[in-house]
Amino acid sequence: MKTFTTIQHHLSEILDVERERITPETYLIRDLEVESIDFLELAVALSSAFHIPVEDDEIFLLDLRLHLESAGTGDEKRVSILSAEYPFLEEERIQEILQDLDHGPVLKVKDLVSYVEYQCRAG
Amino acid sequence: MAVHLAKKMLESGLHPILTFRDEAGLDRVTSRLEPWTGRYDTIYVDLDQPESVDIAFSKTEKEVDYLVDFAHDHLESLIGSANGKKVERYFASNISARARVLKQAARRFLKKGYGRLVYVSSAAVERANPGQGFYAASKLASEALYRNLGLELGDHGITTVSLRLGYVDAGRGKAYLARPERKKESASRGGTPALTTETVVEAILFYLSDSAAGFNATEVRIDKGYGAAKREML
Repeated sequence: MKTFTTIQHHLSEILDVERERITPETYLIRDLEVESIDFLELAVALSSAFHIPVEDDEIFLLDLRLHLESAGTGDEKRVSILSAEYPFLEEERIQEILQDLDHGPVLKVKDLVSYVEYQCRAG
Repeated sequence: MAVHLAKKMLESGLHPILTFRDEAGLDRVTSRLEPWTGRYDTIYVDLDQPESVDIAFSKTEKEVDYLVDFAHDHLESLIGSANGKKVERYFASNISARARVLKQAARRFLKKGYGRLVYVSSAAVERANPGQGFYAASKLASEALYRNLGLELGDHGITTVSLRLGYVDAGRGKAYLARPERKKESASRGGTPALTTETVVEAILFYLSDSAAGFNATEVRIDKGYGAAKREML
């Protein structure tokens, strides 16, 4: 929960939006209209707050659709590629992402939480 | 020139961090800056070893406000005769590794909302001599990285400017200007187009200063005006 509240705080500061608008289920691009410069600021803020390396491509799932393109159409292969590229995401979340692709950018706040906690565990 | 700049910074009360890429470079710095021992830092960075960039930034705990980038190798070869592997290494070191420097600097400066970067480029990007194609290309590419950084983060207090220096009476420029034919040309013209180290250092300090903050995401030619003429620079 502490990870989420820290991320919520930084998102709120960077985007100048009320904290209440930011939940684990909030979409960063669809709901909060986060832009690339905001991603960069957020990456720097999270790296500093949690003392972890932050790779923008990974935490923000920037190459998600490229990875899926290389995987083809088979569900099993798609899950397997995303699991390899984004080891911080649970399989359940990957399945959810695959179902959600047609509705727009899929990145949610809870994905950032997963990334940060994964990196903290990796130490 | 970097050491000269460091001396000027020290005289102004700043605390420069100088990079070196081998023991000889470190010795040069420490011997020339002996009177200021303890008032500056040195750190290892070798653009041929890109991971050294990340390590250097992670080790630098001091607050940093400015970055002056002199680092650039020279690869003199005709385009049609260049060794392919050398060219790849050259671009990896002088462009890709520089992008790594800029990424680290951008993230560091973003935390504090301020950063001023000066890239020491060359007038060769506009008027290269035969054999300078790779040098000019890598300088031009580096300028583009600096320009975009200033463009992307200018509103966040991070600004950049590239200085296109003409001939400088130091280092490689000094050796070039010492050639008999160049000396003869200078004599016939009644003056040298070469900039002194002092002039260049003063220009760098100006472009680092708040007075020059309006110069962002751009390039400035510093060559005593010779590049504006129809005649050859030298």
